Amino acid sequence: MKRDLHQFQGRLSNHNHGTSSSSSSLPISKDKMMMVKKEEDGGNMDDELLAVLGYKVRSSEMAEVALKLEQLETMMGNVQEDGLSHLATDTVHYNPSELYSWLDNMLSELNPPPPGSHGLDPILPPPVAGDSSTITSIGGFPASDYDLKVIPGNAIYHQNQFPAIDSSSSSNNQNKRLKSCSSPDSMVTSTSTATQIGGVIGTTVTTTTTTTAAESTRSVILVDSQENGVRLVHALMACAEAIQQNNLTLAEALVKQIGCLAVSQAGAMRKVATYFAEALARRIYRLSPPQNQIDHSLSDTLQMHFYETCPYLKFAHFTANQAILEAFEGKKRVHVIDFSMNQGLQWPALMQALALREGGPPTFRLTGIGPPAPDNSDHLHDVGCKLAQLAEVIHVEFEYRGFVANSLADLDASMLELRPSETEAVAVNSVFELHKLLGRPGGIEKVLGVVKQIKPVIFTVVEQESNHNGPVFLDRFTESLHYYSTLFDSLEGVPSSQDKVMSEVYLGKQICNLVACEGPDRVERHETLSQWGNRFGSSGFAPANLGSNAFKQASMLLSVYNSGQGYRVEENNGCLMLGWHTRPLITTSAWKLSAAAH
Amino acid sequence: MSEKRISMVEKSNNKRQRVNQVPKFSINDHHDVLVEILRRLDGPSLCSAACVCRLWSAVARNDSIWEELCFRQVSPRPSLSLRSVVSALGGYRCLYFLCIRPVLARLPKLLWTRDQLQFSLSLYCVHYYERLYVGAWLGDAPPSSLMFLRKPVNVV
Repeated sequence: MKRDLHQFQGRLSNHNHGTSSSSSSLPISKDKMMMVKKEEDGGNMDDELLAVLGYKVRSSEMAEVALKLEQLETMMGNVQEDGLSHLATDTVHYNPSELYSWLDNMLSELNPPPPGSHGLDPILPPPVAGDSSTITSIGGFPASDYDLKVIPGNAIYHQNQFPAIDSSSSSNNQNKRLKSCSSPDSMVTSTSTATQIGGVIGTTVTTTTTTTAAESTRSVILVDSQENGVRLVHALMACAEAIQQNNLTLAEALVKQIGCLAVSQAGAMRKVATYFAEALARRIYRLSPPQNQIDHSLSDTLQMHFYETCPYLKFAHFTANQAILEAFEGKKRVHVIDFSMNQGLQWPALMQALALREGGPPTFRLTGIGPPAPDNSDHLHDVGCKLAQLAEVIHVEFEYRGFVANSLADLDASMLELRPSETEAVAVNSVFELHKLLGRPGGIEKVLGVVKQIKPVIFTVVEQESNHNGPVFLDRFTESLHYYSTLFDSLEGVPSSQDKVMSEVYLGKQICNLVACEGPDRVERHETLSQWGNRFGSSGFAPANLGSNAFKQASMLLSVYNSGQGYRVEENNGCLMLGWHTRPLITTSAWKLSAAAH
Repeated sequence: MSEKRISMVEKSNNKRQRVNQVPKFSINDHHDVLVEILRRLDGPSLCSAACVCRLWSAVARNDSIWEELCFRQVSPRPSLSLRSVVSALGGYRCLYFLCIRPVLARLPKLLWTRDQLQFSLSLYCVHYYERLYVGAWLGDAPPSSLMFLRKPVNVV
């Protein structure tokens, strides 16, 4: 106990030096001292000071109380620097049992924020003042529909401009969200210096800070994160439902709430919620993200970072390579057509395996297909040069051709300079590319037709294992929320680094495209293995089993990654699925031309 | 031998600077013998040996020592073409430190079969390929897909 007291006092004095001068800080610290002294008395007696206000806080819990107070003070200090000092000077107490009705009133009197105090987020322009009447329509909906019911005694909402909270977040995450609610005047209780305690305490005590008069803004702090996690998910679903029903005003208000709730979370949940909130906002305000092809060099870079941070792409490459290697057994000349060239990271491993196979390496020919680079640089050519360098080092005869195409559907088999199949065995490889064709009518059929014309010995496909291409927006939203939550969860184990941030941005772009875009712009149309299987089956392909070597490589890869905790490899009808705990996330499958198609 | 001992004593009594005529066997004079001995060591011992002195450190850079270490338990022995490939990619010593040792540390049982070897080689090859991007990689540090191997293992 004594030691806690000293530490606490030390923190207090540091803190006092740090804050900008405020008349409220000294009395608060004195109060804290008083509270802490009481702590040294009976451990289990209710704290006298707070008991006056109707709170039942055990003295033994006061250390935690004090810690939370300190946190609140820091946040208030930030608020002060933003020029909203009046928020810090007056503190008000509410009896927790009255919080439910208070929140009800709050929701029914939501007002738009004052124009000047908005965050710097261009995605959420301040709504026009005339919207205040429409937003109040929320009060008309029963709280249970949107699950905005507060759990009495627990919730505290904080309206604040938080500067970068998570320093490892990408710039996309640093949206400053401001939510303002009016103060129901009926709830104001008296203030006094003795009770100037702003604090947030676990499940027993709740307080709020608010202005007395003119500004009609309220600040609240969300603390109990588990409850708010559930609330956050419900808010996200409610917002999607509102969009589905074309109720954009409700959706708009919900998006802002999501912003506040998301900030209270930590880790994966916060990042996922922030990305989804941004995407929802883009959808509501019809701000489409920039065109994919302009961003291609960026997306290449992001994919490279994603490759390094987590095993998904490595899994894809290693398993596809194993299938191709086995299909190329005994062939003297081989040709790989890669629909997903990017940086060519898949091919060094295959070339090395071919170089070391029994009987010596074959002649290896690679055709890489990719979208045009924004600055018209021949980036596919550069990749080819590097692969050629590697090939020379490991003594593999190498031939390379790069094709630039806006979409795979623009390809024709005649362009690919195929040689007769007796002399050359061909494999076609596609990693996360085929789903982009589903937005164009006839796209996938054309590409599958081209693949059949190529007559490959094997066609390896790696795709995300989730149905994000349903006709109903709400279903897509739900599926993708679960999918990306799992994906972000799996990233949580990775130590923070620039790579990790870029990986998250990479996934965030997919989320944005999935939620905010429609029609041909929406390229992230993921489908499940069974859906792809039906598609391939009806196009004349038969599944080719991946074999135990691929499984072994995948298992090895995962056991090396962070001791393989959490990741699971499953075999499903000859295809391999990599998942996080029980949820499969990506699938590698191999296909060959069915006998009927020959 | 006793004659030699007498001559040793004489010489040490008389001319101490002519130590090289004293027929003591110093391993440091016989690098090939040293290499043969080091080839038979296991990983940790070899690393310790490489820290003994500059000479031993230089001798320990002999790639054949590390080749022996990598392939000791693998049978049948990989072909000679492997040696040229691995040397071109950076040598067995780098292969051991970058890929094989971390992989071995993380695999639950210390089975060292061709599969693990093949896996390590794939990782090594990707690593080499990424080196080719040095300077062309957005000004940052070159990409390193083997970074996941260097991170501390969460053994729960």
